[in-house]
Amino acid sequence: MVLGSLLINQHPLLFKNERLPWRHGPRDAGYPFSRRKMIIRPRATSSNSSTAEADNVGLGRSSLVLNKGIAEFYDESSGVWENIWGDHMHHGFYDDDSSVSLSDHRLAQIRMIEEALRFASVPSGEENTSDGKIPKRIVDVGCGIGGSSRYLARKYGAECRGITLSPVQAERATALALSQGLSDKVSFQVADALEQPFPDEQFDLVWSMESGEHMPNKLKFVNELVRVAAPGGTIIIVTWCHRDLAEGEDSLQPWEKGLLDKICKAYFLPSWCSAADYVKLLQSLSLDDIRTADWTQYVAPFWPAVLQSAFTWKGLTSLLRSGFKTIKGALVMPLMIEGFKKGVIKFSIITCRKPK
Amino acid sequence: MRLLTHNMLSCNVKGVTNGFPLIIQADKVLEKPAELNHDFLRNMFYKVDWKALVDAAKSMGYSELPESAEASMLESLDFLNRFHHALMELHLEEGALICPETGRKFPVDKGIPNMLLHEDEV
Repeated sequence: MVLGSLLINQHPLLFKNERLPWRHGPRDAGYPFSRRKMIIRPRATSSNSSTAEADNVGLGRSSLVLNKGIAEFYDESSGVWENIWGDHMHHGFYDDDSSVSLSDHRLAQIRMIEEALRFASVPSGEENTSDGKIPKRIVDVGCGIGGSSRYLARKYGAECRGITLSPVQAERATALALSQGLSDKVSFQVADALEQPFPDEQFDLVWSMESGEHMPNKLKFVNELVRVAAPGGTIIIVTWCHRDLAEGEDSLQPWEKGLLDKICKAYFLPSWCSAADYVKLLQSLSLDDIRTADWTQYVAPFWPAVLQSAFTWKGLTSLLRSGFKTIKGALVMPLMIEGFKKGVIKFSIITCRKPK
Repeated sequence: MRLLTHNMLSCNVKGVTNGFPLIIQADKVLEKPAELNHDFLRNMFYKVDWKALVDAAKSMGYSELPESAEASMLESLDFLNRFHHALMELHLEEGALICPETGRKFPVDKGIPNMLLHEDEV
């Protein structure tokens, strides 16, 4: 921990004053609805400066620079992560933050999937309930190396498609599916969540587990989730947000923005938004049964554990063999811990159902 | 990439209204046996675009599917086998998926389609 902090504060190369390529782009002329069969037009949204900022990120070049950064980051670092943590690239769900061992973390990651399904009232057993049916077609948006895809496919006997910007991840996800006998159930494509290559209304369950934070245009991201959801289908978003702004607050405090900026640079994140921003977007798209919760307290042990794992012999050697992007990502972990502790960063779940 | 996947991929380049189905350029096709699941096939029958499947299978070298199909054919094991083979056992390993409207090629590498758009296509 001390080593990490020392390096962040003193290393001259890590946080140069470079202009983030994906912020403050030209205002987008408008989401090109016309090329889709189904036109989703949001009603006038009450604008909030952080959402407006997120929307103001121009499509085109700046997004593509970001996407390239994301793809390269995950191409480089997925192997390191998998080596130490396995195939789920998301937070674990914990009851309290007493010390837990590495095997507990894997169970916690599985629990995170189950808790998210439960929160959204997706039935778990063989039975169909009045709330909804067992999902049979699932899309995993920002699928990583396919941990969620394979888990959900196995759990529901469903078909699952995963999309990721990283060709390395797509390939690894495919190989893991093959080795686990799931190739007939899951498939992976390299694609952009903001331009999903699927026709409308395909999926009973639209799953976004910790990918939303990478999306430079939250409106477009949510529009695509809704577009590909089948009528009656469930949308689950689990993502990192900044805290909800208080009444009368226009934006985060400068120190809060500064903290998030440093994290953005290392993890290839665009501007953050709040869970309340997501709720407003979903409301403007007339979705049913919108629910949200702050799960920050349930993920508390995660980053300290990740940090610890980075400083084991296995962790250090893996990092040193990986690349600069991965190392930079590792060095920024104390900032994530700080962000959570100071209430700037929130771990949020937002779910809803598409009307029939 | 199986034809099950192909049957639900479309070109999403800006301005394209007719991006489905994607035409297959099959440079390398593999046949991988898969277990036949009657219920799955019956469910899928109602969801697939049949003509797209027939054309795609032909471009992968398989011409044994009937040009048109109806639900009653699901009673026939012979039909099910052919449907299963086309949908689940033919894999495009290397090649491309081509937009029928613009000719834009989406590469398929090691069985994984890359559907990312370029800067001017968004």
